[in-house]
Amino acid sequence: MASRDIKTDRTWRAIALSPTIAIFVLMSVLPVLNLLAMSVNEISWVAGHSVWKYVGDAHYGRLAADALLHKGAVNTMVFAVGGVTVQVVLGFLLAWVVSRMTRSRLIYRTIFILPILVPGILIGAIWKLMLNYDFGLLNGALEVFGVNPIDWLGTPSLALPAVIVVDIWHWTPFCFLLLLAGFESLPQDVQEAARVDGAGTWNELRFVLIPMMMPVIVVTFLFRFVTSLKVFDEIYLLTAGGPGSATEVISYTIYRTFFAQDRMGYGSAMSVAVLFGIALLIVVALSAAHRQRGST
Amino acid sequence: MADKDPGRRDVFAGAAALGALGTLSWVPRTRAQTPKVGPFTIVINNSPWFDGFRGAVEAYEKESGNKVNLDVNPFGGSLEKQRASVRARDGLFDLLIMNGLYYQEMYHGGFLTPISDIDPSFKLDPQMIRYDNTVYWDEATKTHDPKGKLMSVPVNGNIPLLLYRADLYEQNKLKVPETWDELLDNAKKLHNPPRIYGIVQRGARGSPNDISYDWWPYLYSHGGKLFRDEPKSDYTVTINSPEGKAALDFYIRMAKEAGHPQTGGLAQAQIIQNLATGRAAHALLVIAAWSQLDDPTKSAVVGKINAARVPGSAKGKPAPVLGHWLAGVPKNVPKERQQAALTFLNWFQTRDAQMRYMAAGAPPVRQDVLSDQNLWKDPKNRWMPAMAQSSDFVQLMWSVPEGAQIGDVLELRLNQAVIGELTSDKALNMIADETHAIMQRAGYKTGKIAPL
Repeated sequence: MASRDIKTDRTWRAIALSPTIAIFVLMSVLPVLNLLAMSVNEISWVAGHSVWKYVGDAHYGRLAADALLHKGAVNTMVFAVGGVTVQVVLGFLLAWVVSRMTRSRLIYRTIFILPILVPGILIGAIWKLMLNYDFGLLNGALEVFGVNPIDWLGTPSLALPAVIVVDIWHWTPFCFLLLLAGFESLPQDVQEAARVDGAGTWNELRFVLIPMMMPVIVVTFLFRFVTSLKVFDEIYLLTAGGPGSATEVISYTIYRTFFAQDRMGYGSAMSVAVLFGIALLIVVALSAAHRQRGST
Repeated sequence: MADKDPGRRDVFAGAAALGALGTLSWVPRTRAQTPKVGPFTIVINNSPWFDGFRGAVEAYEKESGNKVNLDVNPFGGSLEKQRASVRARDGLFDLLIMNGLYYQEMYHGGFLTPISDIDPSFKLDPQMIRYDNTVYWDEATKTHDPKGKLMSVPVNGNIPLLLYRADLYEQNKLKVPETWDELLDNAKKLHNPPRIYGIVQRGARGSPNDISYDWWPYLYSHGGKLFRDEPKSDYTVTINSPEGKAALDFYIRMAKEAGHPQTGGLAQAQIIQNLATGRAAHALLVIAAWSQLDDPTKSAVVGKINAARVPGSAKGKPAPVLGHWLAGVPKNVPKERQQAALTFLNWFQTRDAQMRYMAAGAPPVRQDVLSDQNLWKDPKNRWMPAMAQSSDFVQLMWSVPEGAQIGDVLELRLNQAVIGELTSDKALNMIADETHAIMQRAGYKTGKIAPL
């Protein structure tokens, strides 16, 4: 009787899961398999039809020598690590301050989340105008203080930091929201106990709040880090990867290879390599987080 | 300048005579003459001449009663949509507006229906400019042989002109430059940054093209070429020749001595912005931007800018490049929609339609309109002589379907040279290596010359 129940349970579990599995296969596995197939072929168009020519691992072999892809990988890491670290720190501080408020918390929360509600295309337009060399608001303000105009988006050493600043402005509210939810879910009695024991604001933050918030901080960082590796819209709208290759990032390199150059085979090989690279990063980061949780 | 050249004068007289003949033979089409057809969709880019095209489409709809849908996109977005549509089983767009840098992939890929296959009676009006015969395609020889089939109808004849501040020229008693050296001299005389820059150049890494289009007239007029002999199928990459280096060095020198301090960040929009706000004394720009510069709501220099042929390395040897647009009908759309698109094109090539097109702010593509001396007299059309005088010298950048890949290489490496990330030698050698690799992969007869 018991074994029949287990069998029935398994059957129902399989039936219940099958739509999800079917959707997953259809939406994720098949596109990845298609990408893999494209990555080992050179695809051209003759008489209105695509012609696939098998090239084996030739595209993958070329990846190693692609200087632009390497530059894109380095810039992407700088962008993700630099930008997300600042976003999490700022988001944490803002969330901490707002969590201590009693009256105007709702007003500040609404104000702080405004940037994530602005569509990417508008952010591109707003910041491109603000950072414009000849007519930008920022250079206009500098001029008041007698400072010469700066080409924020056209100077190789400044372009990537300028785009990172835009990303920080755009995504800090997201970190703020997640971290505020974390602060709001902390047990109040521990904090009260710390205060009764004479812990000041700094000590409470350093020895009570940060350790208790650490899991939320790690998840927030990881979540933003992974999405940051996929940055595209800000680069596309603000710098188009330039000047030179100063703001080249992986997504933009893939986009240009696929769509501007129409090299579908090579673009697919790039995509597959990046896909596995990011997956590997996530696995490593999650295991590290898991190990850290285990050790505490 | 051109007027001193008897050869040129003969050409203009001939063009004017041809124009007069065209005018005589022209009969205005009425609503009754334009057949009633079903709705169709045009996919087009939102370039500076788009308002003119929209004006022409609205005039067509009003006159014919036919419905036209416009799918308007950024430059790169239009190409992406066109590719997706022509590669699908059933196409979404019935008329593709293709740029001179990528129409080749539509011809080579076999995505378009020859116009005579849709309607054998369709004839391209003799007054329509052929733009280096790029409207034709010989499938057997893969060339633009006029004996091949008519594949498209021109819709825009973008070529760069030298736009300059005529008021400052008058104040400073300057002569319109015919050579790059003369242009540099004039630009230096007017260079007074940040109030005004002697010249603004499209030095940005474009998406899809800025700096390569701006630099190409320098390359050609210095005697440089991308390939040794493209018409004879010799695709040996020669861009890193001493002539190519001289052209790039001069371009960079111009930027350093009389240009915008951030030339490497300037795309077409910023060039127009600088001209319109009176911050630039010169620029090479397609005439499509003219309507904005003479529009009092958008420009601080209305009536102050004039146009001339782009200079050359020697007098009388300018080398403007084609950045024109062609309209083609895809294979994978229903016959009735192909017919509807062709009905529009047939109307579009009439003189009346071209006059409306021009009135709406776009440069015409009929020779009789372009060389109409009566139109030249109107001050708002003061760009027309320069445009007409340029058409004899105009050249294609390339005709291979790998243009999108090559363009991407050029944009990056030329921009790196302008911002100082690479020397001109290294940039040109890299362009040569990467272009050679592209051509080799595509199976062309190619080669390289000794690096610089």
